[in-house]
Amino acid sequence: MTQSEQGEAAISCTGVVKRYGAVEALKGVDLSVRPGEIFGLIGANGAGKSTLIKLLVGTARATAGSVRVLGMDPLRQAGQVRSQAGYMPQAPALYEDLSPRDNVRFFGGAHGVPDLTQRTEEVINFVNLRGRADDAVFGFSGGMKQRVSLACALVHRPQVLLLDEPTAGVDPKLREAFWQHFRDLATAGTTLLVSTHLMDEALFCDRVAVMRDGAVLVSDSPKALLRRGRTRVSVWCGDERQSETLADYPSELPGLLRRRGLEDSVTRIELDEDTLETVVLELINEREAVHA
Amino acid sequence: MLRRTVLVALRALRQLRHDHRFLALSLVAPVLVIYLLKLFFDSVENPVFKPQQFVVPVGAFIVHFLTYVLCMIVLVRERTAQTLARMFVNGFRRSEIIGGYLLAYSTLATAQSLLVLVELNWLFDLAFDTSRFVSMYLVMWLLATISMALGIFVSNFALNEGQIFPFIPLVTLPSIFLSGVVVSVEKLPEWAQLLGRLTPLFYANRMVQALLAGGGLSDDWGSLAALPVYGGVVLLLATLTLREVD
Repeated sequence: MTQSEQGEAAISCTGVVKRYGAVEALKGVDLSVRPGEIFGLIGANGAGKSTLIKLLVGTARATAGSVRVLGMDPLRQAGQVRSQAGYMPQAPALYEDLSPRDNVRFFGGAHGVPDLTQRTEEVINFVNLRGRADDAVFGFSGGMKQRVSLACALVHRPQVLLLDEPTAGVDPKLREAFWQHFRDLATAGTTLLVSTHLMDEALFCDRVAVMRDGAVLVSDSPKALLRRGRTRVSVWCGDERQSETLADYPSELPGLLRRRGLEDSVTRIELDEDTLETVVLELINEREAVHA
Repeated sequence: MLRRTVLVALRALRQLRHDHRFLALSLVAPVLVIYLLKLFFDSVENPVFKPQQFVVPVGAFIVHFLTYVLCMIVLVRERTAQTLARMFVNGFRRSEIIGGYLLAYSTLATAQSLLVLVELNWLFDLAFDTSRFVSMYLVMWLLATISMALGIFVSNFALNEGQIFPFIPLVTLPSIFLSGVVVSVEKLPEWAQLLGRLTPLFYANRMVQALLAGGGLSDDWGSLAALPVYGGVVLLLATLTLREVD
């Protein structure tokens, strides 16, 4: 990554290594997130996503490499970075004997939010907890705690949002609402770095980095990643099926149909595209075959 | 800075208000233990033995023990729930977090010390006049506050609730055996005397003994000054060792 690219990026990591004793949690991570972008960190548990986010919020120190948030060092310029960054950790990290309203007001108060009462109600409404705003968090389900945690991360209107598995345990309807809100925030200029282990959530992101064993396997837009996949075309002539695999079906399908002449006997054409998960699995297999 | 310190204190107090069991245990436990102490001393049939010499220092030890352990648990709970990390990420500084906790829990220590002293005075017919009662209370309150600081400091070395337990006897046993509450410090080996001086109860006990002997706070300025100095040093160490970054 060039210096100018690093300067323009809302978030940048260059050659980031993090070791915990003998364990290398991050093995030279490079990535750059543009302002106003939703960037997904995709990977299984233990891939290094949470460690990377901890470095970005300044609760962990990189063993080697450089980390920048809005062009600033999260450790040396902790005060400035933290006032402009919102962080939602993987664990709810809430005061469970207090209510969602108390939790949001506490973290919002730390940032000196000027219209704290109004803003607290806004974020409580957004996470759909108005009816439970004064109940102790203790009795809440995992998904409800996630919603309170997200409200705490949003309360001070941060410029950069670092969300570690924000939709874990959240029902599909609310998950859709979360992503819609993330999109609205990005449109308004907020930069979002969202980690998830759910491949289908990558499709909500502008770009993603697929992480495995502390390294970035690939970083691209979800569409570009999907283009790496293949499509199996099955042409049915009555009960007889003929299948062919195409690398780029939008450009190759017309040729296939021309070759077949699209006879009257063709009764059905099925397209079976690789999912993002299959594409990523292929990438992992390719990488492991190279290293084997 | 003060705004965020007050925020932490108000939040901790709100938590205390909601946690009825914790609050009840913090206030009822010392009262109950002192009542048991009364039953014990009543059964000692020795005309030479004067329980008054022991009960106030032992009462001070109970307050020291409880505030130290409770503060340690609360801070370790913050760490394991990851709310401590979240506070840092939201801009709270180490001194603001520690100051806030000290402010909030000193209200509990104030009530605890008062309860203990009133009960001791009543159960053991200590018949303190107002001036002596206030002096005793000041010593006990200072000890409780220092014990909280000590709890915060030691909690920085425990990564989870399970690791708290080895730290309890490590601090409280030298306190009770080497501070002069049970045996005179002068009868201990020199190294043990030095160790005794590292416990806050050593200075509190000297103050209590001077007050019981009819003296005033001004009779032992050294011990009186040692308590806030001890507290300040422990607070400084607690602030320096509170880990913000992994």
